[in-house]
Amino acid sequence: MRYSRIKTYIIKIVFFITILMSLQAIDVQAQRFPKPEFDSGHIQPETQVPVPRSDFMEFFDVFVLIVALSVVSWLVLKKRSRRGVFWVSIFSILYFGFYREGCVCSVGSIQNVALALFNPGYKIPLTVIAFFVIPLVYSLLFGRVFCAGVCPLGAIQDIFIWKPQQMKSWLQKLLGLIPYIYFGLAILYAATSTDFIICRYDPFIGFYRLDADFLMFLLGGVFLLTSVFIARPYCRFFCPYGVLLNLFSRVSRQHMTITPSKCIQCKLCENSCPFGAIEEPDMLKIREPRKNTVRRFLILAAIIPALIIVGVYTGSQFHENLAMVHPKVRLAQDILEQKNNPEIQNDSEYVEPLEIEAYRSAGKSDQQLFTEANEIIEDFYVGGMILGGFLGLVFGLTLAGLSIFTYRTDYEPNKGECLSCARCMDYCPVETTNS
Amino acid sequence: MSSNKTNINLWKRIAQIAGIFAFVISVILIINYAQYKTIDPVNTELINSLVENLNHNPADSLLRQQIRTVDLLSRKAYFTNQWQVRTGGYLLLLSLAVLVIAMQIIKSNTPKEVVVGETENSFLEQKNARKWISISGIVLVGIALFLALLTHNDLSNEFTIASMKDGGVDAPVENKVSDNETVIIKDSSEKEDIVLNDDTEKAEEVEEVVSNTKEQAQEVKTEKKIVAETNEKKAVVEPEKKLSEYPSEEEIIGNHPSFRGPGGNGISYRKNIPISWDATTGDNVVWKVEIPLHGYNSPIIWEDKIFVSGANSAQREVYCIDRNSGKILWTGEVKDIEGSPATSPEVTEDTGQAAPSLTTDGRRVYAIFANGDIIAFDMEGNRVWARNLGDPNNHYGHSSSLMLYQNVLIVQYDIKKSPKVMGLDFSTGKTLWETPRKVKVSWASPVVVNTGNRTEVILFAEPSVDSYDPLTGKLNWSVKCTYGEVGPSVAYADGLVFAVNEYAKLVAIKTGENPEILWESTDYMSDVPSPVATEELMFMATSYGVYLCYDAKTGDILWEQENDNGFYSSPMMVEGKIYLMDMQGIMHIFKASREYESIGDCPLGEDGMTTPAFADGKIYIRGNKHLFCIGK
Repeated sequence: MRYSRIKTYIIKIVFFITILMSLQAIDVQAQRFPKPEFDSGHIQPETQVPVPRSDFMEFFDVFVLIVALSVVSWLVLKKRSRRGVFWVSIFSILYFGFYREGCVCSVGSIQNVALALFNPGYKIPLTVIAFFVIPLVYSLLFGRVFCAGVCPLGAIQDIFIWKPQQMKSWLQKLLGLIPYIYFGLAILYAATSTDFIICRYDPFIGFYRLDADFLMFLLGGVFLLTSVFIARPYCRFFCPYGVLLNLFSRVSRQHMTITPSKCIQCKLCENSCPFGAIEEPDMLKIREPRKNTVRRFLILAAIIPALIIVGVYTGSQFHENLAMVHPKVRLAQDILEQKNNPEIQNDSEYVEPLEIEAYRSAGKSDQQLFTEANEIIEDFYVGGMILGGFLGLVFGLTLAGLSIFTYRTDYEPNKGECLSCARCMDYCPVETTNS
Repeated sequence: MSSNKTNINLWKRIAQIAGIFAFVISVILIINYAQYKTIDPVNTELINSLVENLNHNPADSLLRQQIRTVDLLSRKAYFTNQWQVRTGGYLLLLSLAVLVIAMQIIKSNTPKEVVVGETENSFLEQKNARKWISISGIVLVGIALFLALLTHNDLSNEFTIASMKDGGVDAPVENKVSDNETVIIKDSSEKEDIVLNDDTEKAEEVEEVVSNTKEQAQEVKTEKKIVAETNEKKAVVEPEKKLSEYPSEEEIIGNHPSFRGPGGNGISYRKNIPISWDATTGDNVVWKVEIPLHGYNSPIIWEDKIFVSGANSAQREVYCIDRNSGKILWTGEVKDIEGSPATSPEVTEDTGQAAPSLTTDGRRVYAIFANGDIIAFDMEGNRVWARNLGDPNNHYGHSSSLMLYQNVLIVQYDIKKSPKVMGLDFSTGKTLWETPRKVKVSWASPVVVNTGNRTEVILFAEPSVDSYDPLTGKLNWSVKCTYGEVGPSVAYADGLVFAVNEYAKLVAIKTGENPEILWESTDYMSDVPSPVATEELMFMATSYGVYLCYDAKTGDILWEQENDNGFYSSPMMVEGKIYLMDMQGIMHIFKASREYESIGDCPLGEDGMTTPAFADGKIYIRGNKHLFCIGK
């Protein structure tokens, strides 16, 4: 019985992939340059030039995103079905992952938006804006349903969860600051037209495209292997888009609950969340005097401006290190080094780096490059200060937030950190009783 | 129930096999990948040795065939390896998919484990979190600052210096004492047309430095004693001590040490320069201060100090002004100088007694006046040395500004009788070299640039543009290209010198050992403002109000604009923009680009003939009466 059901699923999946593949336009072959002729009779293969994705298909992607988000929202909030969420995850892996090869992706769209905001010359596609905004809107309405089963990066980690270990909450809070740093850096590098670091270091894109640098495969493998014991490490401790989803979800209009009605304090769900996103009821018999809490909060709140100043200062000092990532700054550094050490060019084994050769062949002067590199460094000076100030604010607010103690009586999901995967619902006997 | 258990066991077996298979494939893939990356199929040891043999026996067709076979095998092996990696990847993916499916099936058929552990003490956990977040924040800041310390934040300066060198603006070398000085002495001794003073003359000159105060007299006595005690070696020893006193590249670029910025080439490297102000309403005016004595010299800046001078026929003064508050910190009186004429020369109103701009190296500030008085003060306003260079005999009034290169104070002294260029020792004022010039009177100022292999000081006067070695005064090259009364100084960029004079022509001279005129134009000419150039563009303004942009390489006029007020102030380029003030004190700011793009027109509220000076976030403009600090 169970085998036949699996067989049916597999057939459905294969059928679905076939349909999708048939929708894609056939590659157009084009030859820009005359082919060389071979005396040996070797036939040169035709050059394959893929056509750009049609507008219809791009909007179809947005449509699929909306449908997937709506389905997950319905499954989580109405049906309370973990199994349903799981199958949407599989769908996302297949569609947004393997079929769409991880692009366009909401996580990376942050960078497009940042670039569009800071570089008027960049025309951001509508679909990218849609992929950026729609999950945030859903998060505002229904919590992180995008993370639950629509994000292909989250989904691929999710299916690897096997024996998730609970982390100490302080450690989780600490590691939870990494996404803010990653978020800040991604914005900085996108805004300065340096690089899309989220895409460049996307650990799972290699799997979806079946093609990547070896180290990227290795990185992805490490993340997936880690997922077996530490659930969704990328989502929880790296994902920059998660920063926004977390903030939006905290004020979500309708968020999933562990229990469908009243919590009976059975503790069954206590460790059911692999992401440590369940807030336990406060078991302290003696509450901390309110005066202490308020005093601590005020002190921590007062140091926020100081932390911002420290951050701004640190960012301003660190800006050149940040700028060194920019390819033009790196090229200027290489050329400067070459200029400062002209003797290295006399070395018979010296080979001029390709970047320098390419730049020189473009006919631009070194002076222009140095001037442009300096302008970039100047941008990073401002950007570094903003990034530092932002991180100072994040640390400050986190510290201040940790001084507030919320006394609760029920087991509740942390609305910011809960990925709405619906695992905990399966543990709630109230639901079982009601159903 | 039993069947379900069997099924779970089967899936567990499948999961185990898939897991082991995935692991093995991963290991093989890593090994294969390592091999694949290290192999270069077209550069193997075997093929290389065979090719070498073939070079010795080019007629050996068997060997040739063997090489081809081995080469083919090597390439096949490479592509097979590549295929293996790719196929292995697919196998790995397949095995992982099987593993995941098996895991999910096992999980969905296994009763949920309910783990009820000890409840965390939330209060304690929050405390811990606060502690570790604080520690990690400190560590993060520490690491960032440590890494920043390692790079010293020098990258920007290095690029600026390199850019200046490429662009031709002189970037003085850091204080490398002995090497440079040896060159100075050696070069100086070789020059026929350079008048090097002997020790006796030096001693006499030092005597001229005598001032009236007892302290100064004591200083000179001490100096005289040193001079008397030294012999021929003195010339080597003495500058060695002083060379260490001239500023580094960073210091010069970080300031505005002379007329038209570092090197006098019209380019400033300061940042965040204001683009809008209105001094009539006080908008974006930080302060303004009245300068006691009038002068057409432009402000110069060293760190927090601004220097200007003022003079009338009876008085000559140097002013040091606090850059932040506008307060006059000290006034240096220029008087009691040996050889100074009793009466000031007659000058025209639009030149005045204090037209030449000062220069500074951050150790001393140097000023010259229409009567030939030249003086050096230290940064606190104490007189260091002073002398008179002789009557300039200039019918408008002497106006060539001073320029420094290393330890040499360069004076363009294109006077009616025996015009010359002089290199004075910056610490004593005595003449290090003096080169006669075959030119007419001029009002232009020296420009010091690095033209690639050497640093040159470029002067402009009828009939030629001349290049000299700033350390020895040796004439590098001379191009005859003008006539008339020369007012504008030259501009330099990317191997080209631009020289323009009214009623003559505008020329672009390609520098080098055999300099030549690349192009010339007679459409518009300037009689006072100096041009400024980039690698691609050249900007020029005229006293009758036309300001325009040329293609630096072809001489084509790219755009031209007109202004009724006219210009005496020279355009300055900073942050890719041109700042050009008209005679009514309105600063016209526009992009230094091929197409005219105005950024703003900012009034000063009083007439302006001088060229502005720049510091980070600030611009300093000398109007007819006041010195203004513009910024926020």
